[in-house]
Amino acid sequence: MQLVSALVAITRRTFIMMGRYMFNTVSTLISIYMVFCLAFFGMKAFAAASPSRALDGTFEGTIVGFFTWALAVFGYSGLSWQLISEAQMGTLEQLYLSPIGFKWMCAFQVVVDFLTNVAVAVVFLFAMMATTGRWLNLDVASIAPLIIVTLLGAYGVGFALGGLALVFKRIQAFFQIVQFAFVGCLVIPWRIPWAKFLPLSMGNHLIYRVMAEGKRMWELPAADVLTALAVGAAYLAVGLAIFSASERAAKTRGLLGHY
Amino acid sequence: MKHQDGVALEVHQLKKVFRDRGACEVRAVDGISFRVAPGEVVGLLGPNGAGKTTTIKCILGLIRPTSGQVAIFGREVASHYPGILSQVSAVLEGSRNLYWRMTVWENIEFFTGIHGLPQREHRRYFEHLVERFGLADKRDVEVRRLSQGMKQKTAVVCALAELTPIVFLDEPTLGLDVETSYELRETLKDLAREEMRTVVLSSHNMDVVQDVCQRVIIMSAGRVVADDSIEHLMALFRTRAYRLVLRGPLPEGLQAALAAHFPGLEVQSTPYMTHMRLRLPGPDDIYVLMDLLRDAGARIEEISQEEPDLEKVFLEIVRKERVNQCNS
Repeated sequence: MQLVSALVAITRRTFIMMGRYMFNTVSTLISIYMVFCLAFFGMKAFAAASPSRALDGTFEGTIVGFFTWALAVFGYSGLSWQLISEAQMGTLEQLYLSPIGFKWMCAFQVVVDFLTNVAVAVVFLFAMMATTGRWLNLDVASIAPLIIVTLLGAYGVGFALGGLALVFKRIQAFFQIVQFAFVGCLVIPWRIPWAKFLPLSMGNHLIYRVMAEGKRMWELPAADVLTALAVGAAYLAVGLAIFSASERAAKTRGLLGHY
Repeated sequence: MKHQDGVALEVHQLKKVFRDRGACEVRAVDGISFRVAPGEVVGLLGPNGAGKTTTIKCILGLIRPTSGQVAIFGREVASHYPGILSQVSAVLEGSRNLYWRMTVWENIEFFTGIHGLPQREHRRYFEHLVERFGLADKRDVEVRRLSQGMKQKTAVVCALAELTPIVFLDEPTLGLDVETSYELRETLKDLAREEMRTVVLSSHNMDVVQDVCQRVIIMSAGRVVADDSIEHLMALFRTRAYRLVLRGPLPEGLQAALAAHFPGLEVQSTPYMTHMRLRLPGPDDIYVLMDLLRDAGARIEEISQEEPDLEKVFLEIVRKERVNQCNS
């Protein structure tokens, strides 16, 4: 019962805050869409000038990549920004006083954020497909589990950065680096042996195969799916371990309420 | 730690040492112990840096103590964390404690929700609290639009709405004007009496502590230097000091006569009025005083015994403690 009440409270707060900060939410989406348009039309102009048609098929990859990247950035930054802003707003310690425990609070926040992010990202996906005129295969039963598997790594990074924010407070510079690092993870060819161990990389490749090549999830190589799952789980575990260690350090040094 | 029945909060040998790289260690809390009975309203007093907030945060598990134990209703906090937090709520000093972009009511719903309280069942109580703290017409206003006093009241309402048997209020009247501070303390006093909650109240405002609390724990340099009922502490510091107001100037020779009997006599005289403060060493000295005044032809306008207030008691205790520390 306690857990249900907490989940309801967190869900309501998320929607209330989204409404109160609507301008910020909308402007974030518009700026991401504009970056996509720049990338897409830039590539299109480059492809038109290229006689070899070498960029054929890259447009679908760009849409899938942007979709995965947007979900990953929303996911990791949502979690770590939440912790930073709670510390700034002076509410973090109150959240720590919940009898369900702070980890459950974070877990609920992640679930609520994930669902809202997916809803937003789907709108964004349709906007990208409409802009490019390339309509991808939207097999929800195959894409949904792959998105979850892929984003495990992003949430791992979110937990790690959130934990570091509890101790070091100002880590915003990391956020820019991670956003670019995620782009790198998505564009490095997954066939490079070590690339599959990067967060998002293998998962994004599998999502691409479903959305661009029309594959079903069970048609994908099991080894690839398991690799994506293992990599995501490993990043999440490391992120949670860093979060726990940072939380312990923050409590030992009395830093939870500081900003 | 051996737990006692009928104890709401038990702190045993609690110690917190902060160590920073390159700096010397700071003993914020130095092995303190105390107990609080259910329904008791206890004040936690101390100068800045005495360790009050660190103590409260150690009890709540927001700061990890270096050593010592804390038990809430006989259950050790460390081994029952975080479930044990269903027994406590707090307004923390130096924090907003609230979402300023949410309304008063939304804040209440959120903080009670994460404490596991279904809103439907407790809605009437929340409304009662909002009414009681004079926030009824502001319940749908975003907190950022409220005055400082109303924000603080909202934070207290959120803590009380969680319906926990123990409530920690760390500086609840900080930054409030005299009127709002008075209002808040009157409401707290009534609620503590009506609802039989255990309240630990830390404040620099002695009037609040004296008015609301039955007992006071005074901390200095991380240690408990006094732990007693306010009544008893006041009795300890009560002196036979009297203030007198006489009509007209002081009659000739009276000051010398009084000074011979009552050392430490203070006199301020004008052609119209004389103010005196003196200490009577023995219980019968009041008769000696009256005889001297009558013989000198003095006309008494006013006479009153000086009552110690908590502020003086506190300052005296802390001063003595500092002298003891210097000596040792």
